[in-house]
Amino acid sequence: MSGWKLGRHWNLLLAVSSALVLVTVLLALFYAPVPSCSVKTANELASSMEGSRITISGFVVGLDVSDDVWLGVLYDYNLTVADFSDYARYLEAVRTGQLDGQWWTVSPVIVRVTAGGWFQANGPYLSVGAGSNVSATGVVVIMPDLTSVVLRCESGYDVVELSSPGAAGIMTAPIAQKIFYFHMPSAWVSYVGFFLTLLFGVMYLRTRDRKYDRIASSSAELGVLFATIAIATGPIWAKEEWGVYWRWDDTKLVTTFVMWLVYIGYLMLRAAVVDHSARARVSAVYGILGFVTMPMSLLSSRIAPLIQSSHPQVIASSSGSLSPEAGLTVIVAVVAFTFLFITMLIKRVEIEESEDELEELKRIVGGEE
Amino acid sequence: MRAALAIAMKDLRSELRAKEMVSAMFLFSLLIVLAFRFGFDESVTAGSVDLPDLAAAALWVCFSFAAIVGMHSSFAKEKDRETLEGLMLCPVERSELFLGKVISNMVLVFIVDVLSIAFFALFFAYDYGGNTLSVVAIAIMGTLTLVLVGTLVAAISVNTKAREVLLPILLIPLIAFSVIMPSVTLTGDAIAGTATESVREIASIAGFAVIFGVIGYLTADYVFEG
Repeated sequence: MSGWKLGRHWNLLLAVSSALVLVTVLLALFYAPVPSCSVKTANELASSMEGSRITISGFVVGLDVSDDVWLGVLYDYNLTVADFSDYARYLEAVRTGQLDGQWWTVSPVIVRVTAGGWFQANGPYLSVGAGSNVSATGVVVIMPDLTSVVLRCESGYDVVELSSPGAAGIMTAPIAQKIFYFHMPSAWVSYVGFFLTLLFGVMYLRTRDRKYDRIASSSAELGVLFATIAIATGPIWAKEEWGVYWRWDDTKLVTTFVMWLVYIGYLMLRAAVVDHSARARVSAVYGILGFVTMPMSLLSSRIAPLIQSSHPQVIASSSGSLSPEAGLTVIVAVVAFTFLFITMLIKRVEIEESEDELEELKRIVGGEE
Repeated sequence: MRAALAIAMKDLRSELRAKEMVSAMFLFSLLIVLAFRFGFDESVTAGSVDLPDLAAAALWVCFSFAAIVGMHSSFAKEKDRETLEGLMLCPVERSELFLGKVISNMVLVFIVDVLSIAFFALFFAYDYGGNTLSVVAIAIMGTLTLVLVGTLVAAISVNTKAREVLLPILLIPLIAFSVIMPSVTLTGDAIAGTATESVREIASIAGFAVIFGVIGYLTADYVFEG
């Protein structure tokens, strides 16, 4: 039992991980760059596509209705462009959010739908509303007023005009991006926690050594804690960047939520079994079963051709795309959270050990032996 | 495999005599369909509801919850009568025991699936676009995956204090992606007559059946113990 008792060393570990978290906060606030306007604006994109025939489709989120103009925010937009030689590469860049070697998502493009007579005749709502998918086909026209109007395509009565929300073209509230330095490491650590739950669950089943069960349950608890942080911080960013807190059509979000539910179930299962060895046994099996959800969540933003997700892909397969400052901050953040996780895990396992010891002592004092 | 079949036959025979589980599941699924009928009363009467969508969703809510009731009692019954110990004393591999339970649960849940499909057709005066057989086929496929993972989780939860509540808590997150979502899509496609084109959903359900089947088969030794 004494293997985990680190005593003074644990205090050192705590000091190191606290310091690292503090450094992460400082780096994120003052060192990591505020995402700037290096991503091509919709205007720039448009000028390279002038005259092309496009189909645009996507998911409408926000809306703002004035007299004859209907504003929506379009996500997951696809531009199907004939005669646009680099279309495949462009689409890939849109999908992964790496339009210009940047790693965050492309901002929403404002869709302006002007309606003509049909609109006036039928009230404020067009054939599209928040939550619906829009699709329109037309020819790209560069409007003289480059500040607002960029691509125009016509579909029936509707004129869909893509425009850039300001000069930058991305990140209407870039400060929200800084939450990424806490969101991603939390998610990472929760994946580690759930993997350890699986690993030590299997080790327990093989050896029946109670110490593995203690590690499995402690890491599941911490996994749930950090997954909760990740799930709570994500929407704060999403509200700024996507315009909504949550999207049920985004596989990454939904799979992560399901994974979180599974491990809450794991903790409830543990709480519902009294006998130690039965608890360890069944929760190890459920830990194996529940782990099915972890790769689903982890990989769901990567196998995007199969499923729909606009969650940014952090470690992109090609091209090192983080700016050096942001990259360093991310690395420090991940190291800090990993240290924090290890520190907390050791303490949690120690507490479990003490609880077991206490129970044992009570049993001896109670004279049951 | 013969042992598994023997256990399944034992379950089905005792069920044929007592008719406990099937009647409970029967009533349960009837009431779920009824709840949907009442809940969507106005829009169904007005004809403004998208019946294929509603059918796919309602049926799978029905299948999942009826299966939970059934799979729970398949173990709870054994536990309460202390026959689970007897079953474990049999000179039979635990994985065979698991398979046997999967087979008997599969048969019972499938009966209830067919009944729910009939109830829905009756209450909503709906003919599934003339594709009832493919709806049934999808029900078999999804139910197989559902029962494979459900039987394992039911075997886990039957040992706990709050077992009735715990089974859905443990099971629903696991079947959300593996069974409910692809099956609902597939059932919708089946009604539209295009189920064979939805390769992705079929592959996903089949893939999870394999994953859950293998996990269940390998961990049965640990689940049925003590």
